[in-house]
Amino acid sequence: MRLHKKVSDSSLDSQSANRLGVSRRGFLKGTSLAAGGIAATGLLGKTMIRPTQAATPKSSAPVEIKRTICSHCSVGCGVYAHVQNGVWTYQEAAFDNPINKGAHCAKGAALRYHGHSTRRLKYPMKLENGQWKKLSWEQAINEVGDKIEQIRAESGPDSVFWLGSAKFNNEQAYLFRKMVSLWGTNNVEHQARICHSTTVAGVANTWGYGAMTNSYNDMQNSRSMLFIGSNAAEAHPVSMQHVLIAKERNNCKIVVADPRFTRTAAKANQYVRIRPGSDVAYVWGLLWHIFANGWEDKQYLAQRVYGMDEIREEIKQFPPEVVQDITGVDEQTMYQTAKLLSDNRPGCVVWCMGGTQHTTGNNNTRAYCILELALGNIGKSGGGANIFRGHDNVQGATDFGVLSDSLPGYYGLADGAWKHWAGVWGVDFEWIQNRFDQTEYRGGKPMNTNGITVSRWVDGVLEDKEKMAQNDNIRAMFYWGHAVNSQTRGPEMREAMKKLDMMVIVDPYPTVAAVMNDRTDGVYLLPACTQFETYGSVTASNRSIQWRSKVIEPHFESKPDHEIMYLLAKKVGIEEQVFKNIAINGNEPLIEDIVREYNRGMWTIGYTGQSPERLKYHQENWHAFDFTSLRAVGTDAHGDFYGLPWPCWGTAEMKHPGTHVLYDTSLPVKDGGLGFRANFGVERNGQTLLAEGSAPVGNEIGDGHPEFTAAMLQQLGWWDDLTDAEKTAAEGKDWKTDLSGGIQRVAIKHGCAPFGNGKARTVVWTFPDAIPKHREPLYTTRRDLVAKYPTWDDFESLYRMPTLYKTIQDRDTSAEFPIILTSGRLVEYEGGGDETRSNPWLAELQQDMFVEINPFNANTLRIADGDDVWVYGPEGGRVRVKAMVTNRVDRDVAFMPFHFGGEFQGEDLRKRYPAGSDPYVLGEAVNTVTTYGYDPVTLMQETKCTVCRIEKAA
Amino acid sequence: MEKSRSRTSVGFWLVMLLVGCMFSLPVVAQSQGADARREALQSMPGTTPDFWRDAAGGVSGRTTSQSVGADTLIMTEGERWKEIRNEWISPGGLLALGGSLTGITFFYLLVGRVKLEHPRTGKRIERWTRWDRVIHWYVATLFIILALTGLSILYAKWFLMPILPTSLWSAWMIAAKNIHNYLGPLFSLGVLVMIVKWIKHNFFNLVDLKWFIKGGGIVGKGHPSAGYLNGGEKVWFWMIVFVGLTVAVSGLVLDFPNFGQTRETMQLFLIIHAVSSLVLMAAAFGHIYIGTLGTEGAFEGMKTGYVDESWAKQHHDLWYEEVTQKQNKS
Amino acid sequence: MARMKFLCDSERCIECNGCVTACKNANETEWGIQRRRVVTLDDGEVGKEVSISVACMHCTDAPCMAVCPTDCFYPTEDGLILHNKDACIGCGYCLYACPFGAPQFPQQGAFGARGKMDKCTFCAGGPESDPVLEEQKYGANRLREGKLPLCAEMCSTKALLAGDAQQVADIFRERVVYRGHRNSAWGSADHEADQSEQLAKNAADLAYDATQSV
Repeated sequence: MRLHKKVSDSSLDSQSANRLGVSRRGFLKGTSLAAGGIAATGLLGKTMIRPTQAATPKSSAPVEIKRTICSHCSVGCGVYAHVQNGVWTYQEAAFDNPINKGAHCAKGAALRYHGHSTRRLKYPMKLENGQWKKLSWEQAINEVGDKIEQIRAESGPDSVFWLGSAKFNNEQAYLFRKMVSLWGTNNVEHQARICHSTTVAGVANTWGYGAMTNSYNDMQNSRSMLFIGSNAAEAHPVSMQHVLIAKERNNCKIVVADPRFTRTAAKANQYVRIRPGSDVAYVWGLLWHIFANGWEDKQYLAQRVYGMDEIREEIKQFPPEVVQDITGVDEQTMYQTAKLLSDNRPGCVVWCMGGTQHTTGNNNTRAYCILELALGNIGKSGGGANIFRGHDNVQGATDFGVLSDSLPGYYGLADGAWKHWAGVWGVDFEWIQNRFDQTEYRGGKPMNTNGITVSRWVDGVLEDKEKMAQNDNIRAMFYWGHAVNSQTRGPEMREAMKKLDMMVIVDPYPTVAAVMNDRTDGVYLLPACTQFETYGSVTASNRSIQWRSKVIEPHFESKPDHEIMYLLAKKVGIEEQVFKNIAINGNEPLIEDIVREYNRGMWTIGYTGQSPERLKYHQENWHAFDFTSLRAVGTDAHGDFYGLPWPCWGTAEMKHPGTHVLYDTSLPVKDGGLGFRANFGVERNGQTLLAEGSAPVGNEIGDGHPEFTAAMLQQLGWWDDLTDAEKTAAEGKDWKTDLSGGIQRVAIKHGCAPFGNGKARTVVWTFPDAIPKHREPLYTTRRDLVAKYPTWDDFESLYRMPTLYKTIQDRDTSAEFPIILTSGRLVEYEGGGDETRSNPWLAELQQDMFVEINPFNANTLRIADGDDVWVYGPEGGRVRVKAMVTNRVDRDVAFMPFHFGGEFQGEDLRKRYPAGSDPYVLGEAVNTVTTYGYDPVTLMQETKCTVCRIEKAA
Repeated sequence: MEKSRSRTSVGFWLVMLLVGCMFSLPVVAQSQGADARREALQSMPGTTPDFWRDAAGGVSGRTTSQSVGADTLIMTEGERWKEIRNEWISPGGLLALGGSLTGITFFYLLVGRVKLEHPRTGKRIERWTRWDRVIHWYVATLFIILALTGLSILYAKWFLMPILPTSLWSAWMIAAKNIHNYLGPLFSLGVLVMIVKWIKHNFFNLVDLKWFIKGGGIVGKGHPSAGYLNGGEKVWFWMIVFVGLTVAVSGLVLDFPNFGQTRETMQLFLIIHAVSSLVLMAAAFGHIYIGTLGTEGAFEGMKTGYVDESWAKQHHDLWYEEVTQKQNKS
Repeated sequence: MARMKFLCDSERCIECNGCVTACKNANETEWGIQRRRVVTLDDGEVGKEVSISVACMHCTDAPCMAVCPTDCFYPTEDGLILHNKDACIGCGYCLYACPFGAPQFPQQGAFGARGKMDKCTFCAGGPESDPVLEEQKYGANRLREGKLPLCAEMCSTKALLAGDAQQVADIFRERVVYRGHRNSAWGSADHEADQSEQLAKNAADLAYDATQSV
């Protein structure tokens, strides 16, 4: 089937003309010949490759080989970039990178195009009377800085919203959070909010840390896998290498539970079609069979899990017929899946946006965790909760707290956290306090209360300010590496954009924000460069931190993000505080200094042992790390796990190898072992929250224990293991705040995890639903289930905003909007697609936005494959897209990809792009029709389950 | 003596050409044995029987490529087309052209040139108007060019490539293709005009039937009667109508692939085009022979527009009478 | 003499199109020219869907070669079918003969203007002695550097293998053995044991065929 029309001629013409970047061909034309040539590397390798026959003369310019990491997803594929005279001329498969072994998906294999892309923002610009006007950097920074200072004076620091990015490297992410903190607001966010925030909240509250417990590589050891709400084949294609190896080598059984038959499902042993938004009921249905047949890991539950009995009670209400009614899955299938997962252990669960992006997102993620706990899969190689993150550095940006609810390292926003970081930064705590609005709103000061989330900035602009827990509405927005079309409620977003005083887009590309805003003034475009034009570290989904080298110099007039941060901080007069410990070269803060600074503060999650030197050493020695275990053999990194996956305890001098598999008690802590984190107290309702009879190998306490504090060291008689200097620093501190790392060192010396040895909890008593509950989506086609499984009542204030639940659900839209609408990924594009749709190698492959419709609906509506259709959402949005008639979806569901933008409710916005920087492919954004709905714990947006009506376009 | 030598030498060259064609037959027919299934089996092994049934059956799937037919994994028709083209049309065309030439050669050797039975009277009668001649030579010239370029595309790699330097070979073939593609539509136009212009002379009548019974004069004695056009000429005309238009239309389909024709469509029309044009060429040999070497006095008609009275009387007696009566009346 | 072949293991191919863009990356083909593509059959059909990456198969007795009016194709000693763009007249016959839709043309214009045919070269360049010209006309010549086609090197799941036919078949056979000997049916559904054995046997046969037909 073809859904494609040729790209408009104008767009192609300017492709060949207007080539300011240098392509390889252009480059080769200008060079003469001489011997060059690169030896071949091979995996699979030695058998596939032929011996080198001759060095190839290519160009007289010497070849520099740079090691970098693909910037398109969290798998973290290694890349060899060949650079000649500053031009990225070739890209070679990095067969020795332990994560991808040279493999790439469409995006990774097209990476080099970013090295000479012409559809970039080329210089700072502003929109003036509807025209884009070129500015100098100085002028742009001055105007933007003056404006935010003015807003700060009029409305307070919280009226400027700093929307950062998972595209930052770790250093930029950390710096961004720090800069915004010293600006005096918590209104700072990035994509993690609308990506895995419900995961982080749900999982961290279950067993301590909110990250992927194992690794892509470790999945090779799995004997079963449950993909639920994950389409790895299209979203994380290279991960499938590990998955398919497991399938091949271990006879690993793969179950895919998804409303849509995806490319991942095509590789599954069992595909289960569930109704969107019924994940909790589905998991409870599995657990019903597991408990009914006694398949749970009883010893594991007794030793390491709290509260499973309460879950058992809840599950009694989900017998097979109830589950079938809610999920659409019959008893036999449920039984088979439950048996498959029970018979084949260790097994892991994989989830992504299909699980997280729901109003019930945190319930879903906790339910998945509970399933894995019941099966005893957590803390085991081949098991785990393998949460595939999205962006290349969304894990890092999350860890560094580019979020409105925490400082870097999940320290939170309490005064203690501020004091800890003030200490690390060497900035006076009171000075920081004074940067903030000191007024209390709804019982909290902005400094200590969660800021507005990225999912709600629209409401932050439009909401009645009396109902908000801050002084005024948002008046200026920074979109610093963000695709607005990845957010729901497009039409309202357009209104919000119109109401803002100023929009500042800092990005390599203009992004949809630059064109959908319907403004004529007050939009600034600041060209940031890509991660190939700077260097630094990036955290893959498995917590491995990989170092990127700079491949090429920044294109056109673009600058690296951290340089732009410096310019802005300087403009608003906080550069002295922000960069106190960080050397500045020209205007560019030194990346290595930033690493060293966060090494001194990130004790909670062990971002302390990864010094720049160690990270670079790993980068230079990809070949030494094993493809399955990720452990280095030989070299100075011998025994290290690749990329020192956090927690890498203590200081770099301690040489902790990093932690490959979280909560794995079969290893000593010093070699990467752990129990569960004792983060929820020591006792509840008379039951202990500490592990019973289970501890990492070599743990001298031999049982559960709380997290380490100075006092605890003294009680245990280990205080004198500290050096004198450590004693001074550790006095009155705990493992998270002792800047010397002494407490961690001594705890580990005695085989103890610094964070204690607790139980995982299945009941999160601090959440709206202590036990995960099935609740019907706000927009549902199953009105009959609403009464039994209603959503929450409205909340007066979540993250400073009133948040609606019942009010929305009470409106019955099922007659007018009979089809469930869900959304997801295409392999060729990433996120909002601004970057990937500007890459012709990718854009060529997907030229039209489409909606997948089941043949039943298509025939009924007289829609043929390739027809233009209108898709209407219940909140008034509508999009004109192509129909793809397919059995991937069943008749209750329609699916749209979310990477398109540049068309808005039938209107083509191409002419609104600055000349020469429009992406090759434009299309309607699915989020023009998606609707209201937020998770009550994290304000995750609902993108996976709304309703729609489809009509053939005239 | 003079005459017979020239006849022998013409015959010799015709025979040589024929032998040349026969010689290249086995070369043309030799290529065979590519097997899509086998290739696919090597390159896409290990798949399910369903897959094989679908793939080998040419079922289309989904792909992101937008090339015509990209959604089909294995286009089974390609093989058949290759077989038809290389193993049937190529040799078949040679046989047809060769057969036509052979026939003509033998005919020439056996019967020789049809001479004027009576000496020229010197009185010339207009047979073809200026417009007739223009259209004839316009079509004829294009026909020859298209035939030569078309034959080059079909056969030249067997006899021209080995003897030309590579650059010259490429240049000729590129030229041949472009000439063929750009002149084709002009030829089609000419054919159309010609048909419209001459159709009124070309309806068969009883005279033609008799003419056919006498084999145009070969069977029995005496020349059969004929009007302005004899039966043979009319047959040629109608061949141009049917076969020529087929050539033209199929050629246009091939010449304008920008209307989303599928590969299968193109294959079909390539076969139609090749077969019909080869048939037309084979027939054209006869036409050319009769119009030049075979019939004394015929060529000058189309060259100058006028024929000698004797010629007219001999070959188109009824037309001659008609013309003379008309002249007499006036 | 090595005989170069591609092998796409459909049990591993996930239609990520990595091979397609890797090819673009290596050869810088223009918009509209995809030397390689992935075709998914029975798309969306549970238990039946199969994806396969396909490009020029470098056939023995290549049909394109047989029908080319200018004989622009030539076999190399590695068993590859390369072509000479200088000789190509853009007639499109190779596309009509090729069972796999490998030949690509930059245009489909009036008067049969298609431009020069382009197709997979197995990253082995073409007949041009000047490497810079060769690269501009035919794309990369990785083979000469001892490297394999970038599409196979970058395949996300190592579904697409390239190299000496015997070695490629060996790799594939090894996989089949892994998949087969534990009664692990490799299809989309869980099969009963006997069916599973049959499938394993089929797979082994196919693997055998793959090695024999080299």
